[in-house]
Amino acid sequence: GTSRNVDMSRSESDLAINIKKATNIEETAPKRKHVRSCIVYTWDHKSSQSFWQGMKVQPVLADEVQTFKSLITIHKVLQEGHPVTIKEAQSNIGWIESLSRGVIGDGARGYGPLIREYIYFLRAKLQFHKHHTEFNGLFEYEEYVSLKTTNDPNEGYETISDLMTLQDQIDSFQKLVFSHFRHGLNNECRISSLVPLVQESYGIYKFITSMLRAMHTTTGDDEALSPLRNRYEGQHHRLVRFYYECSNLRYLTSLITIPKLPADPPNLLSEDGEAPALPRRPVQPEPEPTPP
Amino acid sequence: MSKVMRTVKNVTKGYSNTQVKVRNATSNDPWGPTGTEMSEIAQMTFDTGGRSTDFFEIMDMLDKRLNDKGKNWRHVLKALKVLDYCLHEGSEHVVVWAKDNIYIIKTLREFQYIDEEGKDQGINVRISAKELTSLLLDEERLRNERKDRKSWKSRVHGIDQ
Repeated sequence: GTSRNVDMSRSESDLAINIKKATNIEETAPKRKHVRSCIVYTWDHKSSQSFWQGMKVQPVLADEVQTFKSLITIHKVLQEGHPVTIKEAQSNIGWIESLSRGVIGDGARGYGPLIREYIYFLRAKLQFHKHHTEFNGLFEYEEYVSLKTTNDPNEGYETISDLMTLQDQIDSFQKLVFSHFRHGLNNECRISSLVPLVQESYGIYKFITSMLRAMHTTTGDDEALSPLRNRYEGQHHRLVRFYYECSNLRYLTSLITIPKLPADPPNLLSEDGEAPALPRRPVQPEPEPTPP
Repeated sequence: MSKVMRTVKNVTKGYSNTQVKVRNATSNDPWGPTGTEMSEIAQMTFDTGGRSTDFFEIMDMLDKRLNDKGKNWRHVLKALKVLDYCLHEGSEHVVVWAKDNIYIIKTLREFQYIDEEGKDQGINVRISAKELTSLLLDEERLRNERKDRKSWKSRVHGIDQ
């Protein structure tokens, strides 16, 4: 085979150490190398069960920083881990929700509202993926397997609308993060939660743009699509603002490239302009996922 | 000094000639890998059958280097460079391996390492990982670049060229 040569006997205990270090008590970003190891683990083993088990034995409720860091870690593993991670996460929603029990009110260091909003967002994200299994955790454009929903306008309308709801949730969460920066601190831990939000919002944006374009082409019904168009334009302006604010955070710009959107939303009725192009149709269709 | 240590390690750990070649090409030295080193390694990836295990040894060693810690960012960076070279000049098996294990490369797009002087040494790894990821996701481009070597040589050249 061409898979990696992994020492399976060691990887389980290594995973436990990586989870522990990614979610430690220090008020910093979860260290990328430890988060990466968790992600790589799910690909090597095509399973995330040990990741969830490893998370559950950590004392993440004992400290609000630890709780917040574990939510960031979970979000990153959902985004970049093996696709089975999102499926297996569905049965861990209850546990994720229980993470709000660790902090009362604002919490000593102000993470209370952020933790509750993060849990609310992750639950919405998992709900979305449960109904739309064709999307991966990062809504990655180049990996999208089909635009099949645009062939069925009703289904396409619903998918776009659900994507927009998720985009709105990212927007309210990022606003909350910005409003909880503490003066005089470097805010690294809070800022690091913006990394997956920037990536996810851009993936969703690119999808919505190309799906809406495809819908306009296939249905030719500009009138029926106008509510979605209006909503799209509002979201475009909010995203421009979000990315602009992110571009002023040096810690963030050193880690990821902040997308640059045109000031005005692209014209969805034409193929030109600065919007991302339509993804190519797949050469071979992916096999249908088997129902759980 | 590091070179002496590496030679000692190569002997004590019993590395094969193939493994030694990859280790040298992806070392912590501030130079390299050279075009000659990369070209030799790429040629060896064609040995996959019979008693030869060159291909597997090369990929295993590159895999180890790719997953090295931040302090050894040069290992990671050079392994990406060697892999990029092998994807162009090496056997088809390299392409299959890299596609199957693309998550190893993708997850390096957020690689971080700030050295003692506060310098961001992770940036080159992040850029290389980004380039390699988009190459691997673009089947057509990869096919063309494997056919026409001139088009990518300017990007993936060694320092002795």
